[in-house]
Amino acid sequence: MIGNDIVDLKQAAKDSNWKRPRFLDKVFTVEEQQLIADAKNQHQMVWLLWSMKEAAYKVNVQQFGKRFFNPKRLECEFVSLEKGQVVIDFETYFTSSEISKDYVYTVAVLNPKQSYKSEWFRDKKLEISKQSDHLQNRFLKALNLDLTTIIKNNVGVPKLYCNTKVLNTSFSLTHHGAFSGYTML
Amino acid sequence: MNKEELITKLKTIVQPYIQDEEAFANLSEETDFINDLKINSANLVDVILDVEDEFDIRIENDDMEKMTSVKAAMDIVNEKLAVK
Repeated sequence: MIGNDIVDLKQAAKDSNWKRPRFLDKVFTVEEQQLIADAKNQHQMVWLLWSMKEAAYKVNVQQFGKRFFNPKRLECEFVSLEKGQVVIDFETYFTSSEISKDYVYTVAVLNPKQSYKSEWFRDKKLEISKQSDHLQNRFLKALNLDLTTIIKNNVGVPKLYCNTKVLNTSFSLTHHGAFSGYTML
Repeated sequence: MNKEELITKLKTIVQPYIQDEEAFANLSEETDFINDLKINSANLVDVILDVEDEFDIRIENDDMEKMTSVKAAMDIVNEKLAVK
């Protein structure tokens, strides 16, 4: 199983004010808040940690089929700035991140040795439903499978269908602001 | 506070963050913040903080964990108001 998450840093600055009272405490552990406080680029660190949690959460939902909203329970640790681990309950997810001044992008997997395909791209500013369609089309094209469609299951996990048959391809899609990405095992 | 008043207040709170106008127009107890209203998950933190401010309550992370729909939010607000 695999999960990904991209954050458009400009969009995030417009959408969210992480400096508002109690925001950081709702989302980040004491250790993570310290990492943010110590970071040279705090905005980037906030959203890097966020993308690690979100990517790991996406794997967790695929595994256990249960949605929840509690980012603080997903605890991040860094091996380096680009490599990390996210721990929740007894599960560990291994993360790889790309960090730039415009975006942060994280892929999370259960097995750190497993190879995967991952691509991100910059999109024209589209309305959210169109951006989602565009990302799906681009992913399906990369798969090079005919007659496949994507349908989300009851916990919001996207699944690939060929006619009415569900395929067990493990993949994840993400978009935010001007950026989109897909990844698959 | 009755059900309608509570839904109206929640509707005002979520409005700045919604990305699906149609789902917002048809908002009901069954509406899901993320799947239906397409609120991005970072803004769900803002929804929770705004709910805390509006009702002068504090929502612990264990309660927040379930707050993914209008119905769940109503239950938690009512629970917190009852013990105030």
